[in-house]
Amino acid sequence: MDFAFSAEEEAFRADLRAFLDEELPEWWRGMFVDDERAIPLTREICRKLAERGWLTMAWPPEHGGSGASPWMQTIVREEMWAREEPRGPQYMNLNYIGPLIMRFGTADQQARFLPPMARGEVIWCQGFSEPDAGSDLAALRTAADDRGDHFVVNGQKIWTSYADAPADWCLLLVRTDPGAPKHDGISVLMVDMASSGIRVRPIGTMAGPHEFNEVFLDDVVVPRANLLGEQNRGWEVIVTGLTFERVGIARYARAGALLERLVEHANATGLAADPRVRQQLADLRARYEAARVLAYRAVSQQAAGEVPTVEASIARMHATLLEQDVGHVGLELLGPVGLLRADDTRAALRGEVPRQWVRNVPTTVAAGTLEVQKDIVAQRGLGLPRPR
Amino acid sequence: MDLTPTPEQELLAESARAWVARACPIERVRDLELGGAHDRRLFEEIAGLGWCGLPIPANAGGEGAGMLEFALVAEALGQGSVPTPLLSSVTLAALPLAWAGGATAPVARALARGQRIGTLALLEPGMRDEWSPATMPGPPLRGTKLLVPWATAADVLIVATTSGLHVLDAVAPGVRVTPHRTLGGDPLAMVEFDGARANALEVDDSDALLRRALDHAAVSHLAYAVGIAAGMLELAVEHARDRHQFGRPIGSFQAVAHRCADMRADVDACRFLAYQAAWALDRRGEDGRVEIAAALAYSKDALRRIARHAHQMHGAVGFSTEHDLHLFSRRAKAFELTWGTASHHRERLATAMGLRSGP
Repeated sequence: MDFAFSAEEEAFRADLRAFLDEELPEWWRGMFVDDERAIPLTREICRKLAERGWLTMAWPPEHGGSGASPWMQTIVREEMWAREEPRGPQYMNLNYIGPLIMRFGTADQQARFLPPMARGEVIWCQGFSEPDAGSDLAALRTAADDRGDHFVVNGQKIWTSYADAPADWCLLLVRTDPGAPKHDGISVLMVDMASSGIRVRPIGTMAGPHEFNEVFLDDVVVPRANLLGEQNRGWEVIVTGLTFERVGIARYARAGALLERLVEHANATGLAADPRVRQQLADLRARYEAARVLAYRAVSQQAAGEVPTVEASIARMHATLLEQDVGHVGLELLGPVGLLRADDTRAALRGEVPRQWVRNVPTTVAAGTLEVQKDIVAQRGLGLPRPR
Repeated sequence: MDLTPTPEQELLAESARAWVARACPIERVRDLELGGAHDRRLFEEIAGLGWCGLPIPANAGGEGAGMLEFALVAEALGQGSVPTPLLSSVTLAALPLAWAGGATAPVARALARGQRIGTLALLEPGMRDEWSPATMPGPPLRGTKLLVPWATAADVLIVATTSGLHVLDAVAPGVRVTPHRTLGGDPLAMVEFDGARANALEVDDSDALLRRALDHAAVSHLAYAVGIAAGMLELAVEHARDRHQFGRPIGSFQAVAHRCADMRADVDACRFLAYQAAWALDRRGEDGRVEIAAALAYSKDALRRIARHAHQMHGAVGFSTEHDLHLFSRRAKAFELTWGTASHHRERLATAMGLRSGP
C-alpha cells in the first residue's frame, strides 16, 4: 500500500492546474448557470484538453488515448471537479459511455463513436429514468420494437441532464422484450438526438438550466447498428456503467476545495478561534479524508482490472453526504449573508457556498439514491436477503 | 498511490487471522476476560511470531517492518477481540526505548523480542487526557499514576515525570500495582510509587518522544478497533440473516439492512484511514499530522455509531453476556475514551489543517 502520488503525477497535477488557471475565465461558475457562454466554453476546454492528449489520457492507445494510469485519470477528475467540471457534459463520455462502448461495442461502433469523443467534439446524454422508473430503474417502459434492421422507439425519459445542451447522442435504455422478467428484457441503444420524433422539454431546477429535461420519443427509428451489447442483456451494461460513473466523479474534490475556502474565510474573519467552528470544519476534513481514501480504494481495484460495484457505492455514500454537509456547514458559518447568490454584489466567497448547497440538494438522489447505494452494499456486499 | 496490500502484507494479515482463529477463538477470549485477561503463554506465542518487534528498527533488535504491517496484525487481533498487551508494550515501551537508544537499548531489545512486557504510566488524578503534562516529580518516584494499561502484566514501566521519562522494573521496591475495575477494554491499573528509583531516558526532547509514542499507540489501537468494528459488523450481518421475525429474516427489512450498510461504510472508512495513518507514521513523520488526526477523529465517532447499530439490531440478546457482542462493544467504548477522544483529535486536526486559534 502506498498513499502518495508519484513525483510525475504531482507534476502533471501542477500542469493541469496551470492550464485551468489560464483557460477558465473569471465568470465561470460551472454548468448549471443561466449563462449562454457556459456550454461553448466547455466545448473549447475539451478541444484544448484533447490537443494536449489529456482528455482521454487513460483510454487505451487504439481508442485515441495514451494508456495513462488510472491515477493520472484520478488527478484529472479531482482537478476538474474542484473547478466545477469545466469539461461540462463530456465528462460522461470519458468516464463511462466511452468505456462501455470499448467493453460492449462492436469494432464498427468503436471506430464510429470513440474518435469524436476523444477529440472532445461530441455531447452525449443518458436516457435512463422514466416517470415511473426511478430507483426501480428496471421497471422502465420505453419500448423498442424490433423491426429487423432497425428498432422503432416510443416512450418518455425524464431528469435527462444536458439533453438541451444540445446533446448529439443519447445512451438510451429501452425495453425490447415486454414478456421477459423485468431485468431480462432491457437493451441499450445509441440514439442520434437529431432523429425525427424526439422532443426535448427543459425542466427548471433549483440549481439552474440544463440539469433536467424531459425527452419524448415518438416512433423514433434507430438502426440495429446502434444496439450496444446484446439485445435483452442491457442490464449488465448499465450496472457496469453505473459503477464506472460512481467511481468517475471525484465529488470529494469539490468538497475539499470549498473546505479550503472556508478555512481561509474562518482565518480572515477570526471565526477560526471559535472552538465550535474548529470542531465542525475538522469533522468535515476527517470525512473528506475518508471519502478520498475510499475513492482511491475503488480506483485501486479498477487498476487491478476489477469492477468495484460495492466499493463504488460505499465511496459514493461518503462523498455525497460530505458534499451536502460542506454546503450546510459553510452556510451556517456565513450566517444570513449566505443567502446572497453569486450574482448579488454583496455575496460572500463569490457565492460559492450557497451554490454548493443548492447543487447538492439532489446529490444523494442522482446516479442511484442513497437508499439504492445502501441496498447494493447490503445485498451484494453483505449477502443480506432482498426485501420481499 | 495504490491501496492494494502487497503480497507480503496480504500474507501477514492472513497468518495473523489464522493464528487468532486457532490460538484465541472467542471462547478463549471469554475465559480470559473472566480470569483477569492475561495469559503469559499466549503472549509468548505472539512473541514467537515476531510481532513484538514488527515496527522496531532492525538495529534496535526489531523486525524493521513498519506501523502499517503492525496495524494489519493489530486489526486481525481486534477482529477476534483478543486481549493482549502487545500493542501497549510495543508502542508505549519498546518503540520509545528504541528511539532513545543509549543505556536503555538492552531493555528495548528484550521488549522487541517479547521476552519482557512494558507499559507507560502517564495519567495522574485530575488529568483530562494522555496529552496533559505530568506533575509527578522525577526520581525517587512518589505519587500515583492511574489507568496504566496492562500494568498487571508488565515487567517494565516507563513513567512520565516533570523531568522527562524514566524506566524501572515493575517489581522494583516502592512500586505497588492495583487493578482498576473497568467498563471494558485493556486491563488498567493504578500504580503507586513510594520512593522508587528509576533510570532517566537520555533524550534531547522527551516531550516530543512522548507525543510520538502517543501517536503510535493511538494509531495501533485504531487498527485494533477496526478489527473490533469488523467483528461487530460480522455478528450483526449473521444475526440479520439468521433471525426471523414476521416470517422472514430481519435483514430483508430495509431499516435493518441499511444499518448494516451504514456499518460497512464506516468500517471500510476506518480501515483505510487507519492504513493511511499508519503509512503516514512510517513515511511522513511530523508532516503526517492531518492523516493521523483525521483517522482518529473519524473513527472514534464511527466506532460509537457501529456499536450502536450492532446493539440495536441484536435486540435483547446483544445486552446479554451469553452473546459475544459485549466482548466487542465494551472494547469499542474503551477505544473511544483512550488515546484522545474524537473532540481531542478534531482539535488537533483543526490546527493541522491551518485554522488559527488566535490573531
